[in-house]
Amino acid sequence: MKNIDESDIHSFVNAVSGFFLQVTEEKVEIRSAYLVEDGIKPTTFELTSYITLSGNYTGRIYFSAPRALIAHLLLMMQEPDRSEERLLDAVGEIANTISGNARKHFGEAMEVTVPVTQATKPDWLEKTVSPRSYAILVKWKQYRASVIVDIQTIE
Amino acid sequence: MDKRNEQSVFARYRKIILAVILFMVVDSLVIGINFYNTYKADESALSINLSGRQGTLSQRITTVLLLMQRSLDANDESSLVGNLQDSDLTVNIFNLPPSVVRNLKELDQTVTLFDTTLKGFSDGGIVTGGDGKPTLLTQVETAVSRQLVADTSEIWTKYFELLKPLLGEERNFSVAELKEAVSYAQNNNLEIQRLMNDLTTDLETVANKRASTLRIVLVIGIIVAFINFCYTVIITLRDLMSGDKKLAESRNENAEILATVHEGLFLLNKDKKLGTQFSESLPRMLHMDIVPGMDFMPILKNMVSSEVYESAVDYVELLLGERVKESLVASLNPLTNIPVSMLDKFGNTQSRYLSFFFNRALVDDKISHVLVTVQDVTDRVQLQKQVEQAKSMSKAEVETLLRLAGNDFTSLQQFIDNTSQALGQINEKLSESHDDTRALLHTLNYVLRLVHGIKGEAAALGIEALEGYAHACEQEMVAMRESGQELTSDSIVRVAVLLEGFYERYSSLANIASRLGSVLGTGALNRPDAAAAPIVHPMVEHVTHLAQRIATDHGKEVEISCHFDKLSGLPDHIVRELQSISIQLVRNALVHGIETPTERLTRNKPRTGSLSLWCEYLGSGLYEFTVRDDGRGIVPEHLRANFVKNGRLTPEKAAAMSDKEIAGLIFKPGISTADKANIDAGHGVGLDVVLEKVDTMQGGRLSVKSRPDSFTEFRIQFSAA
Repeated sequence: MKNIDESDIHSFVNAVSGFFLQVTEEKVEIRSAYLVEDGIKPTTFELTSYITLSGNYTGRIYFSAPRALIAHLLLMMQEPDRSEERLLDAVGEIANTISGNARKHFGEAMEVTVPVTQATKPDWLEKTVSPRSYAILVKWKQYRASVIVDIQTIE
Repeated sequence: MDKRNEQSVFARYRKIILAVILFMVVDSLVIGINFYNTYKADESALSINLSGRQGTLSQRITTVLLLMQRSLDANDESSLVGNLQDSDLTVNIFNLPPSVVRNLKELDQTVTLFDTTLKGFSDGGIVTGGDGKPTLLTQVETAVSRQLVADTSEIWTKYFELLKPLLGEERNFSVAELKEAVSYAQNNNLEIQRLMNDLTTDLETVANKRASTLRIVLVIGIIVAFINFCYTVIITLRDLMSGDKKLAESRNENAEILATVHEGLFLLNKDKKLGTQFSESLPRMLHMDIVPGMDFMPILKNMVSSEVYESAVDYVELLLGERVKESLVASLNPLTNIPVSMLDKFGNTQSRYLSFFFNRALVDDKISHVLVTVQDVTDRVQLQKQVEQAKSMSKAEVETLLRLAGNDFTSLQQFIDNTSQALGQINEKLSESHDDTRALLHTLNYVLRLVHGIKGEAAALGIEALEGYAHACEQEMVAMRESGQELTSDSIVRVAVLLEGFYERYSSLANIASRLGSVLGTGALNRPDAAAAPIVHPMVEHVTHLAQRIATDHGKEVEISCHFDKLSGLPDHIVRELQSISIQLVRNALVHGIETPTERLTRNKPRTGSLSLWCEYLGSGLYEFTVRDDGRGIVPEHLRANFVKNGRLTPEKAAAMSDKEIAGLIFKPGISTADKANIDAGHGVGLDVVLEKVDTMQGGRLSVKSRPDSFTEFRIQFSAA
C-alpha cells in the first residue's frame, strides 16, 4: 500500500505478536507477506476484526483468524466461555491492541475507530480490501492468522 | 430598481396594467354619465315641478282676480272709486278692503312668478324655485315644449298687459280694467292650464326618455365594466398561472440541475448557513447528511486541518464583506485540493481530494449569498502527480519512452507485460509460507532472478528508472542474502515493501506508456500489423544499445555483430527468452570478458573488443544460439583465487575442486567474480538467470567454451518443434 513502510507494518504485526506473548507467553511469527492483487487474494479465516483509521493515514487494519486459534487462545487464558460471541470478543481485543499500537506508532492525531468484529463472510474481504494492500500471514502454534494492512497516507 | 427593471416589470404586467386602466376609464365614464343624467334628471324634475306650478299660478291669478271682483261687487263701488257712474274711474286702493289688498299683493307675486318662470321656459334663466330660492331653469328643449311655451307666451303677453295696471305699488286701475282682466282670465285660464299641463306632460316624457336612456347607458356601462373586470381577472389569473407555471418549470429545472450536476452546489448566506437548495451530489461528496440552514463552518472544521480551517474562515469573511473585490481574493482560496477521507460503497475509507470554489451572488449590487461549488478533483490531482512524476524522470528516460512509444511500442508493451508477469510471480512466491530460512533463501533467490531479469530488460530498453530501482532492490536483497545474520521471517515484509515500490514504478511507467501510446497513435498491440511485426529487429537494437552503454560505462570499446536471421521464424516467446538470455550474457561478456583498450593492446589484441551473437538452425527443429566474445576468457585459476578472496570458498575447498567444477560455480546464485558489485554485475545473479531460462526451454542445453586470453563462448541449444 502506498507510502507505508515496513516499520508501519511491523507495528501492527508486533501488536498481534505482543498480545499473544502477553497472554500465552508465545509470540506469533511472520510466515509470508505479499500484496493483494488481481488473482492473489487476501488470506482470511473464519473470524475477522478490523479498525478504521483516519487522519494522516486512512484505511483499515484487519485481523483474521480461525475459530480454532481463538478457542485455543481462550483456553490458554483459562476462559471457560468459548461461545461465538466470546470468540468474536477475543478477536476484537486483538484488533484493540492493534489500535493501541497504531496510536503509539502514528501519534495521537491518528483517529481510530472501535474494533468491528464479525464472522468472515465469503469473498467479503476480497471485495473490500484495496489493491496492493499488504497481507501478512502469521503463525501461532500450529495455526495461521492474517493481518491485512489496507491504509494509505493523505498528502 | 433601475430603469431596465422598471421596463421589465411593465412588460411583464403590461396586460394587467392596461386592463386595470381600461377598467378605470369605463368606470369613470359610467360614473360621469350617471352624474350627467342625475344632473339632467334634477333639471327635468325642476322643469316639471315649475311647469306644474305654472298651472297653479294661472289658477291662482284667476282666483285672485275673481276674489277681487267679488270683493268689489260686495262693497259699495262708490266708496271705492271717485265716480260711481263712470266705470272707467280709477279704483282708489286706499279704500279697498284689506282682503282685496292682500289679494293684490298675492297677485303681484303670482304674476311675477308666472312671468319669470314662463320666460325661463322660453329663454332659460334664474327663477324662484319651489323652495323660494333662486334656481336655474333651462330653456325647454323639445319642439312640442317650445310650441307650448310659445302658445302660452302669446296668451300671457296680452294677459300680462291686462294685469299690469293691477300690479306694482301704484295699482292705478279701473274697475273696467279689473273686469277686463277677470274676463280674460276666465276665458284663458283653462287654456293656460292645459298648455302648462301639456308642457308638464312633455317634460315628463323627456325626463322619462332620459331616465330610460340613463338606465340603458348604466346597464351598458355596468356590463362593459363587468366584462372589463372579468377580463382583468382572467388576464391576472392567466398571468399568475403562467407565472406559477414558469416558476414550477424553473423549480423543476433547478431540481433537475441539482440532481444531475456532479459538483456539490449550495448557497451560503451572510450567517454562513447553507441555503434551502443544494445539489444531490453534495451529501455524497461531503460524506454527511446535509440539512438546509446548516452551519457551513463546522462542516468544514471536521474536514480540514485547523490551519486550513482558520484560513478558510478569514477567506469566507472576506467574500461576504463588501470591501474587497472578489477577483482580488480568489487566489487566497485555501480550500483547493483538500484531501478528505470518505467511505466507498463497501464501507472502505477512501482518500479523495475536494476543491471548494466561492462566487458572490449579487442582488442590487449587494452581496446576498456566496455560491459554493464543490468539486471532486481526485483524478486531476492524481494526474498532476503523475505528470510531476513524469517530469521527475530524466530527459533521457522521457526520450527513451518517446522513442519506444513512437518506433518500438511492441517492445515497450512487451516489457510492460513481462514486468507485470514477473511482479505477479514474485508476489505469488511471497504469498507462500516460509517456515524456515531455507524457504526464505529460496524465495529471495527466486525474487532476485526475476528482478535481475526486469533490470536487464529495462537496461536493454534504456528505461533507467526501473533499471535503477531494480538494481537498488537487488542490492538490498543481496545484502539480506549475504548478511552474516540468519535471515529472519521479518525480511519477507521488507521484500513485500520493495515489491510495492516496484509496482508503484511499474504502474507509473505503464500509465505513461499507455498515454504516450494513445497520444502518438501507436495503439500498443492493438495495431493490426503489431502481431505480424518481427521482434527480431528490436532485439538487435536493444542488445546493441545495451552493449554500447555497458561498454561506455566500463571504459571499454566493443564491436557487436548480431545475426538473428534464423530467429525470424521462431515463436515470439522463444525470441523473448533469447533476448533475455542475450542481455545477461552480453552484460557478462562486457563486464567480465572483454578487456579495456589498454589491457587489450598490452595483450596484443585489437583495441576494440568483439562481441558476436548469432543463431543457427541445426535441423530436426533444433537451434543453437551463441554468444561469443574475444575477451580474457574463463580462467579457472582466476576464479579460484576470486572465490577464495571474497570468502565464497575456503582455500582448501578451492584447491580440491577441479577446473570444471570451479567454472560451474559461475552459474550458482550469489556467485560473482566481480571485484565489487555495480549496476551491471557483481551480484551473482546474471548467469543464474541464464541457466534457469535455458532449463525452462524445450530441449534447452547450455554449454560453455573458453580459452584464456582468447574467447568465451556460450552455446544454447533448444528445440522449437
